[in-house]
Amino acid sequence: MKKELVLKLLIVFVTFALATVAGVAFHEHRHFKETVVVSEDFTEMRWLSDYCPQLKDTFADTPIFVFDSGVEGGSVLYCGGTHPYEPAPALSAFVLMENIKVEKGVVYVIPQCNYSATTMGVQGNAYPSYYTVKTEWGEKQYKIGERNTNPLDQWPDNFTYIHYPSKQAQAYNDLRNLNRCYPGRLDGTLTERVAWAITEFIDKEEIDLSIDCHEASIMYPVVSTYIAHDRAMDIAMMAAMDLTATSFDMKIEQSPKSLRGFTHREWGDYTDTLGVLMETAEPFIDRIVGPMTVDLMMTGQDRFLSYAGDKGLTYAKYDKENNYSWPMNVRVGRHLSGASKVIYYMNQFFPEKEVIASWPSYEELVEHDCGAFLHNPETSNPDRVFSF
Amino acid sequence: MLIESIIHYIYIALAGIFGIMLLVKVFKREKRQGIVYDIVYAYCCVPFLMRLLGIK
Repeated sequence: MKKELVLKLLIVFVTFALATVAGVAFHEHRHFKETVVVSEDFTEMRWLSDYCPQLKDTFADTPIFVFDSGVEGGSVLYCGGTHPYEPAPALSAFVLMENIKVEKGVVYVIPQCNYSATTMGVQGNAYPSYYTVKTEWGEKQYKIGERNTNPLDQWPDNFTYIHYPSKQAQAYNDLRNLNRCYPGRLDGTLTERVAWAITEFIDKEEIDLSIDCHEASIMYPVVSTYIAHDRAMDIAMMAAMDLTATSFDMKIEQSPKSLRGFTHREWGDYTDTLGVLMETAEPFIDRIVGPMTVDLMMTGQDRFLSYAGDKGLTYAKYDKENNYSWPMNVRVGRHLSGASKVIYYMNQFFPEKEVIASWPSYEELVEHDCGAFLHNPETSNPDRVFSF
Repeated sequence: MLIESIIHYIYIALAGIFGIMLLVKVFKREKRQGIVYDIVYAYCCVPFLMRLLGIK
């Protein structure tokens, strides 16, 4: 009897010891702060809770970085981290913020739109929690988050999700998916409140062009693509043609009117902004890949996916020509040049909304990698270093 | 909002109750007496404990 009790106690002890190891890792991930050294053109930092006080002191509150030239012109919003398990958009926002120069108009950057979703890893897929970018001064660490809001912040999931205000029935767990909750509602769930706050921010600041950055699996048709609201189709189509002719392949799709909750649909319908979403290729989230390691996240190289690439089953190039890879610097560069190009064509179509801003291009990222554009927080002006 | 918060706290309380119940079952149960079930019950406590502590 005593021996049995000792064995049970031992089992409980070992289980809880393992749980403690995992719990510490989960706790660290939830509270991990990413650091940015903003460029000299930085003006101020605001919080999303400035536009929706209900978000204050929650894990959904997230910083908004403002780069104002002081010269009257248009305004642009650049968004990363709508789905934090797609890290290239957030990293592109960091590279942008560390190097941006603004000569006319205002550029707003929200690097992590769904901050709560950055506070946990993807459940069930053995995803790594962090990735590092090599720089001349050392390695800089960033986190890989989840697709949806952390259940610790919004839980339990409803049995059904009815999108507001269209009343369209969607997958139940999309109630925690920020890019299914727009335009949002103030008295809704936490994710709907974040969506409402971002829509309110766009409306209140009268932002002319809003860009939402994403990544997609390469066996998904909507990859390497702009998805544009009806009013933004002209600028996105011109940008796609220009990029395809001069730099890299880029497709264009019109935002469907029958599928609700997306940035490219609701931002354009509920505000005056020109809404554009960009997708780049992230083999890491393809269904058929092998071990989901940091290396796969950073290089995009996978043996199983290469078989599909050779048979032409992927919607983004994946062959010998690109070394069966989609490295992080290529994905970051595509977002940065993709954004520059839609801004350029907005300026052409709507001169009254002109924004003149520059940051590293696709070609520069391909040549120098991401680390070359990140600054050392230890040696930088503390007034320009932010951790969040 | 109020109803959402109430449901949230009910679920947190339920997580605690189920966690404690499973822990008790590791030591005292009438059926399935094998060591494998000791491990299963101990393991099943973990997610409830994590949720109760606000970790995962």
